[in-house]
Amino acid sequence: MSDKRLTFKKRLHILKHHYRGKKMAPAFNAIHTFLFAPDETTHSGSHVRSADDLKRTMNTVIMALVPVLIFSMFNAGYQHFSAINGFPENFSVMEHFLTWDNFWIGIIKVIPLLVVSYGVGLLIEFIFAVIKGHEVEEGYLVTGMLVPLIVPIDTPLWMLAIAVIFGVVIGKEVFGGTGMNILNPALTIRAFLFFAYPTWMSGDKVWVYEARERAEQIAEGATNIDAISGETVLGFLAQGKGAEMDTIYSTWDMFWGFIPGSVGETPTFLILLGGLFLVFSKIASWRIMLSAVLGSLVMGLIFNGVVDQGWITGNSPFYGLMSFDFWKHLLVGGLAFGIVYMATDPVTGAQTNRGKWIYGFLIGFMSVMIRVFNPAYPEGVFLAILLMNVFAPTIDHYIVQGNIKKRLKRLTNATIYPKDSEGEAKELKAETV
Amino acid sequence: MLEHIELFFKSIFIDNMVFAVFLGMCSYLAVSKKVATAVGLGAAVIFVLAVTVPMNWLLDKYLLQDGALAWLGPEYAEYNLSFLSFILFIATIATMVQLVEIVVEKFSPSLYNSLGIFLPLIAVNCAILGGSLFMQAREIETFGLAFNYGVSSGIGWFLAILAIAAIREKIRYSNVPAPLRGLGITFIITGLMGIGFQSFGGMLTGGGDSEESVETETAVEKIESEDLGTLELNKNKKNEIDENEISYNDAIKK
Repeated sequence: MSDKRLTFKKRLHILKHHYRGKKMAPAFNAIHTFLFAPDETTHSGSHVRSADDLKRTMNTVIMALVPVLIFSMFNAGYQHFSAINGFPENFSVMEHFLTWDNFWIGIIKVIPLLVVSYGVGLLIEFIFAVIKGHEVEEGYLVTGMLVPLIVPIDTPLWMLAIAVIFGVVIGKEVFGGTGMNILNPALTIRAFLFFAYPTWMSGDKVWVYEARERAEQIAEGATNIDAISGETVLGFLAQGKGAEMDTIYSTWDMFWGFIPGSVGETPTFLILLGGLFLVFSKIASWRIMLSAVLGSLVMGLIFNGVVDQGWITGNSPFYGLMSFDFWKHLLVGGLAFGIVYMATDPVTGAQTNRGKWIYGFLIGFMSVMIRVFNPAYPEGVFLAILLMNVFAPTIDHYIVQGNIKKRLKRLTNATIYPKDSEGEAKELKAETV
Repeated sequence: MLEHIELFFKSIFIDNMVFAVFLGMCSYLAVSKKVATAVGLGAAVIFVLAVTVPMNWLLDKYLLQDGALAWLGPEYAEYNLSFLSFILFIATIATMVQLVEIVVEKFSPSLYNSLGIFLPLIAVNCAILGGSLFMQAREIETFGLAFNYGVSSGIGWFLAILAIAAIREKIRYSNVPAPLRGLGITFIITGLMGIGFQSFGGMLTGGGDSEESVETETAVEKIESEDLGTLELNKNKKNEIDENEISYNDAIKK
């Protein structure tokens, strides 16, 4: 058989055998298992018979993210053209939203973000796998998908690449790779971007394609273009322009996601569907999601109560966000996205059931608190989740210690009946044994 | 009352001893391998801060400040003993730490053993002296507020060491690259935790910060130009030093 007739799969197989036991082996193994169903069986250690391996878990999350990604590609164009021509009256989804023009903007802006995120991230994973001599881990598959969805659309690609390198190396690989990290890598990347390039991450010029570019051209003296801008709902509220915001975006816009924001954080409805999908496929913890929603509602209610009591008046810088209806906090900004896809990360979140309730509740609580109280970060959900990632091991530690104490107590109080030499049961306290 | 609450949360989260000002790092890094030990040390730090900050406040108010000795009589009103603050603050702290050590040894020998040398080292824990010096620098007004400040900054330090101890217990079996094992990875974790604590940065400042992002670029430029200036200065200095060295070497040769 000549070389030309060999299928790709066979060539890969030959390459794989050729490199077996050598340094580059993990790279070829990874490509093989990624493209084709692996035919190897586990050959050492204990075996768990389950169809649910890491790759399948990751793929499920990606499936839950695909609708959000597609929506965000249309929304990129929709926000761009709406910022130029004004929001359409008599909005209809087919005419104004699902158009090729919109989708084209999505292709030229969102897809490059996705490609850079996956390309750089997986490259680092491959390099580390080759250096350390283990198989390439699937951990980056979800992170790579999340990253383009949580950055502003005009983020330059080199910035994203640097942030991804930081997030994967410092956030994950130095801890020993997938499953060992303490902070969510996607959020580490977002935080790095936020603190390293603040002018690219906040303000009213970053959420809409071309807004920044046009502002720069106008500053240089171009007169043939109009300035465009798109402020997020939270940005409007933080500046106390709630009334102006109400004339632009309705509550239904917030629910369906036709608002500016990070690439994929806006469509609350699709995120909700994704969340239900993750809960029913038992990938994500419903405890964390539910308690995080509860936490944000409680904090929102407290703030609404403070406003109703008249303790905060219109002069206060916090008035705009404090008087925002408590349930609407879930519809705007990254709260819904963060709760469904980030907070439920099984590695960095709390791992005990009771711990998950506490962890989730505090995420919701802190998210709304940072939004309101921290004028610098109205989009502070990612920081709240990072903070709780830091404290998740502490929460787990105390839940576990509490259980140990409870069981010890139960054991010392239990009555046991050992048989003595005559075969008669004798009542004994466990502590005497 | 409001100022008490504000100071309390501010010193726990916003001006956290570890993540905002990076004080008390030595014992924070060294005694954070186990949660139980970390809790013991954290509690000791809270106690020492809660006692020393108000005591040093009294010292500052009635002994050290400019004109603090006025209560002795009008002829003392002009004295300014603030140059003695360091030595007096440290003396108070050392005494209190000695006391804590005696108490801990008496009531919890196991904790005393696990804390080891780090218990007496609280005396030179910069978080403790830092607490007193911040109290002086920020001109905290009343005794109650000083006590509040001591307790709450202690709690902030306690939270930090508690969190990192739990994380270090969690990653004990992680496959950390060999050169980073031990202190290296702990430093990295501390940095990442600092990012988490950034969520409080800028809180309670009253909304003036939203303008900051606009001015950031100019600020960076300024710093850069300053850097250039200092760099040139350094270069000049280097040249001078080089010349000196040459002459020195020449002198030796001669």
